[in-house]
Amino acid sequence: MMPSNEAKPLVTFWGTRGSVPTPGRITEKYGGNTPCVTVRYQDIHTIFDAGTGIRNLGIDLIEEYNKTGKGLSLHLFFSHTHWDHIQGLPFFQPVYIKDTSLTIYGSPHKEHFLASILKGQMDYEYFPIGMSEFSADITIQEISEEVLHLGEVIIDWQEQVRHPGGSVRYRLDINGKKIVYATDVELDLIFHSHADTKKNKAMAQDYLDFIYNVDLLIADGQYTDKEYPSKKGWGHSSIQLLLDIAYQAQVKQLAIFHHDPQHSDQFLDELWMENRSKFHSDYKKMDVFWAREGMTLAI
Amino acid sequence: MDHIDNKSEYNKKSLHSTTTKLSRDTFVEGISVKQRACLEILGFGKENRVIELGEEEIIIGRIPECEICLSIENVSRQHARVIFRNEEYFVEDLDSTNGTHVNGIKIVKCVLRNSDQINIGGVKILFTEDKTLQKT
Repeated sequence: MMPSNEAKPLVTFWGTRGSVPTPGRITEKYGGNTPCVTVRYQDIHTIFDAGTGIRNLGIDLIEEYNKTGKGLSLHLFFSHTHWDHIQGLPFFQPVYIKDTSLTIYGSPHKEHFLASILKGQMDYEYFPIGMSEFSADITIQEISEEVLHLGEVIIDWQEQVRHPGGSVRYRLDINGKKIVYATDVELDLIFHSHADTKKNKAMAQDYLDFIYNVDLLIADGQYTDKEYPSKKGWGHSSIQLLLDIAYQAQVKQLAIFHHDPQHSDQFLDELWMENRSKFHSDYKKMDVFWAREGMTLAI
Repeated sequence: MDHIDNKSEYNKKSLHSTTTKLSRDTFVEGISVKQRACLEILGFGKENRVIELGEEEIIIGRIPECEICLSIENVSRQHARVIFRNEEYFVEDLDSTNGTHVNGIKIVKCVLRNSDQINIGGVKILFTEDKTLQKT
């Protein structure tokens, strides 16, 4: 008998847009909120990034809390602390509830700055409420070298240096199902670098090993090949390269994520139609799709 | 000089328009926009069937009790439902055997946008949404 959806890890996209929120009619299909993805497995809630998409997640969690009366236990992992990945946190309703327990994880390379960066965006000059007014039980910690175990959810991570200021990618292993969240990285600088250095080769191999044969890869694919040359060094990847790498690594399902603010729904749909047959013929064994706000998948 | 004087006279007159002014209420009264959403079942039966959605839940499945009954073997007894929540429509799979797809992607739940194509056991269902004016 097939396991029910509830017995599987559930991945929900709350924000898929890169760089800046893009509200409005022309982005309503794929979404205008900045990055936030959840992976929920039974009672374990993991959240990746706190872009503006986390506001809607908060509304959903509060509804659930009001129905069940059961306190929320949440784990929030930051890829990095650029605006588009942290700006939703002050609007995340569960942090204003005493019954919430929230553990925040980030790169150890920020040293002790993660807490001060998060507090900093809530300084009075920027926002009327300070982080000290959060009622939830909040712990901010650096991820350690060892993999993290949250019940049956095992979380591994790697640093990504090819993004201004760096970022972190995460891999979840849940009863053999593997999900990778790897946004804000310029794969072109690793895999297409003219300086074919030992360091680049090692980084390329690390990336391929990390995503090897995963059930779902959520990855930065902000630019088309045509756009990329004028955006080189901005810290984001081109779609075609991402497809090739993911296919080489035998990824089963690829969600192209961190959509460029200039990419409207129509643009993404047309890009899809232009490449649809190629996606199906060249990447037969891999499902490819644009990450879409408001969509939940069972893995 | 005459010419200049005539022009000045004309300018003075134009400052005092004789057009009747309308109150602000004139522009807003009688306008009410209604959100209209439909599911169109494509290629199932002789003609495409269109179901207008309201705020009530709609169950799609094989058994006759479902609001949308698709009596073919690929469809589970209660396969999926369409719900209205926070002013948006969602389709949600009900642990069906063959899954529910939106634009080719197998989903558990998905917000619906205009022209989304839902696939239930091989049956294509088109979601459309528009705004219509209604008289008050």
